[in-house]
Amino acid sequence: MTGSDVLAVLPEILVTATACLVLLVDASLDRRSARLWLPVVTVLGLIGAILSGPFVIASHTAFGGFIVIDTFTAFFRVLFCILAIFATVVAPEYLSRRSIPAGDYYATVLFSTVGAMTIVLATDLITIFVGLELMTIPVYVLAGMARKDRYSNEAALKYFLLGAFSSALLLYGFTWLYGISGTTSFVGVADAVTKRGFNDGATLVALALVTVGLAFKAAVVPFHQWTPDAYDGAPTPATAFMSVAPKAAAFAAILRIMIGALGPLGLDWSAVFAVLAAVTMTGGNVVALVQPNVKRMLAYSSIAHTGYILAAVAAYKAGAPASAAVLFYVFAYGIMNLGAFACLIYIDLDGTRGATLDELNGFARRNAGGALAFAVFLISLTGIPPTVGFVAKVFILGPVLDSGLVWLAVIIALNAVLAAFYYLRVVVHMYMYDPDTNAPRLLNSRLLSAGLGLGALATVVIGVVPDSLYRWALQAAVPFIR
Amino acid sequence: MDHLLTLLVLVPIVGLIPLVLFRRDVRAVKQVAVITTFVELVVSLVMLAQFHVGEAAFQLVESIPWIPSFGIRYELGVDGISVLLIPMTTLLTFIAVLYSTGGSIKTRLGEYMAAFLLLEVGMVGVFMALDLFLFYVFFELMLVPMYLIIGIWGGPRKVYATLKFVLFTLAGSLLMLVGIIAVYLASGDVGNRTLSLPELLAHPGRFNGNFQFWVFLAFALAFAIKLPMVPFHTWLPDAHVEAPTAGSIVLAGVLLKAGGYGFLRFALPLFPIGTQAWLPILILLSVVAILYGAIVSVVQKDLKKLVAYSSVAHMGFVTLGIFVLNQQGGVGAVLQMLNHGFVTGALFLFVGILYEKTHRRQIADLGGLANTWPLYTAFFGVFVFASLGLPGLNGFIGEFLVLLGTFKFDPANGPGGLFWGPAAALGVILAAVYMLWMFQRVMYGTIREAYRNLPDLTPLEVVCAVPLLVLTVLLGIFPQPAIAIISPSVQRILAFATDASQVVLK
Repeated sequence: MTGSDVLAVLPEILVTATACLVLLVDASLDRRSARLWLPVVTVLGLIGAILSGPFVIASHTAFGGFIVIDTFTAFFRVLFCILAIFATVVAPEYLSRRSIPAGDYYATVLFSTVGAMTIVLATDLITIFVGLELMTIPVYVLAGMARKDRYSNEAALKYFLLGAFSSALLLYGFTWLYGISGTTSFVGVADAVTKRGFNDGATLVALALVTVGLAFKAAVVPFHQWTPDAYDGAPTPATAFMSVAPKAAAFAAILRIMIGALGPLGLDWSAVFAVLAAVTMTGGNVVALVQPNVKRMLAYSSIAHTGYILAAVAAYKAGAPASAAVLFYVFAYGIMNLGAFACLIYIDLDGTRGATLDELNGFARRNAGGALAFAVFLISLTGIPPTVGFVAKVFILGPVLDSGLVWLAVIIALNAVLAAFYYLRVVVHMYMYDPDTNAPRLLNSRLLSAGLGLGALATVVIGVVPDSLYRWALQAAVPFIR
Repeated sequence: MDHLLTLLVLVPIVGLIPLVLFRRDVRAVKQVAVITTFVELVVSLVMLAQFHVGEAAFQLVESIPWIPSFGIRYELGVDGISVLLIPMTTLLTFIAVLYSTGGSIKTRLGEYMAAFLLLEVGMVGVFMALDLFLFYVFFELMLVPMYLIIGIWGGPRKVYATLKFVLFTLAGSLLMLVGIIAVYLASGDVGNRTLSLPELLAHPGRFNGNFQFWVFLAFALAFAIKLPMVPFHTWLPDAHVEAPTAGSIVLAGVLLKAGGYGFLRFALPLFPIGTQAWLPILILLSVVAILYGAIVSVVQKDLKKLVAYSSVAHMGFVTLGIFVLNQQGGVGAVLQMLNHGFVTGALFLFVGILYEKTHRRQIADLGGLANTWPLYTAFFGVFVFASLGLPGLNGFIGEFLVLLGTFKFDPANGPGGLFWGPAAALGVILAAVYMLWMFQRVMYGTIREAYRNLPDLTPLEVVCAVPLLVLTVLLGIFPQPAIAIISPSVQRILAFATDASQVVLK
């Protein structure tokens, strides 16, 4: 290990240090000052990590070829830090209300963020697996953080069991790849796979196992069953985080492995991904249609969004725009979906799980700003301009059509109509019904409102001027051009 | 005044700022909204004054890169068609906002006016956008404000109506989005792709027949739902019945026109082969819309529904005029759009006024109102006669030109103008039946005691109605200036749509 190796992972080191610092601060300060300082420390550490990114020299490998720093890494590092900041800002009031240990929450989010950042560094099967585990294990803890809430326990247990199962499948797939190629580096695997070709039993087994393992992580239908319960039962700020960051990381892993290591087989598995994409978006949307609980509805809808992103993965034949579409959509989805879940925190009070549609009645009159932010996130998730969700869909439709998957493009369009129905129904309840007289009191948190306001503003601003973000995504996709 | 069109987009957005600041003060909200829409109206009239009549190409063009990595431009421009539709839009929005200050909206006035200003951005944008992507953004921008206007300030079944409206519209427009992206991909090689209409039209022939067949369908679905054409019209009566009066005025007056305009601006010139392929079906649907809309109007018991279904019939004339692909038909269709905007906007205004005073919309509950409301009867009468196409009023000119074009329609195979012309003319007769019958039942006969002491039009209502009345009469007796503005642009569009080299390619 040399100095440049350390410098290469400076952002990761900073986030890890922040996580340790958070634990120390939590242990040493009394409750009240801890409540104030913990989020501040967390956010400052994450901002430091973002700022330290540019000091790292781009596009080189470190640690003897175990990791790589390229434009792709830089893009995702910033994204993960932004998501962690967002998840930190919306949490404090909720945590103290539900007496969830705040220090543990922030530290867990930070550790999970380090894991996600490790995934995007990976140029080796081992690194990527370590990153995946480092990301998901804290998320299991996050899901179960409300220790006295049985739904939270159920969420954690389900997520853990199925997560462990999928990790095992993935790892098994990795061992097959190692068996085929005799190496764990992506470059070596790619070479070996190219030599053996597609009509090879062992390659097929490895491919199937890896695909299924990653499909579990990204919540692709039919490997999505853990999602609704895990998202629904977890404490809402945790749900907001785990619905976006692990998904973004899963897609980073899919790009790294499927295009980086198994790219030579691409032509053959893109059809599988196209079918999975269609099934996933349709399945998620259809089930979301009938959910009376908004938190559960958003959980199913996040499955549908997996489908849209997967469509762009399937369209990888279109080249850089396809990978850029994945990155752009993941970014957009991160902000809008985290924001949408976080909006539920206003209503998600003691003893409730999320909010039912009826509890949202007249929300616009009770909290005009919160309702507006929620409406913006929902409209963006629907994909109506001028929001980032719309532009992201356009960027996906482009490569999908370009690679000849016209049927998939039509399915995406029709699915957006389905999604409009249930997303806009929430707007109906917020804006078009009167509040119930015995409606529970709303959470009043300036920090939450400020965070959501900023998120909603970003949703609209990037929706109107998306070019710089898209350019950045295109740059970040450069490592995948062959 | 280089950025006149951008100014049109910006004025309502700027108006939103004081609206948000003073949202708690009802008086201030009203003043800001009225002043903003008035300024917008003035700017649009300045634009009309700067327009060079007789030129077919786009004028006042502004074009800057917007999303360069995707080849998308912020490109605005007007031709003889949009230069008239934009002042119509700003006038109707002004009237809708002005009328709403009269007390018909009782809750959340600040949000209501904000929705109208946002809606205005989308509406004027649709008629100016020359980049397909920009057009789509404005097209969808109209959706959310109207969704809120119907859903929050609408009638008893507002939620059902507004969701139906949004889902129908979205279903069409999202397929159009797929079509737009397909156009983008087919427009050239990587790095050369564009969605700018002038550039796409500069080199025709880049889309092959099969491509045009499907993409035209995607565009046509979106526009046919928006217009609406039979059988995609079912959202319209619900939306109109539940919408507040001002919402109905703008919905019927402007939003429906976005469909007809879309056909003329994009679908026809870009896809001549697709147009030819779908022409017979679209003409059939247009004539069906004319007859069906008229027949269903005859049996309506609800005044607002009657006007809504009559819109279906009138829009049938618009599409018929567009798809007979000749000069008279095209000019007639554009005139019909304008006239329908003024006349049907006015009809919805008067039905709304009637409802405000009597709280009834069922024709059977009304009657004899002419005795107590001479002024109302006079205004309403003129608009009813204009709507049924009485010569001397504006409704006549548009329908007459469309019928003239239809009789001249002479396709290579299938039924020609001599079949469709008389069928469509039957719709004009039916219009007289339902309009006059309605007018007679509402305004004449014996009056109910309860209505005897109701006041006639208020000054505010008169102010709202007079500009529409003036235009109805003026365009009726002196349509030549409007035709002179429209003609060259229609001719240019038809030249693209009937480009022999392209159509023969098939």
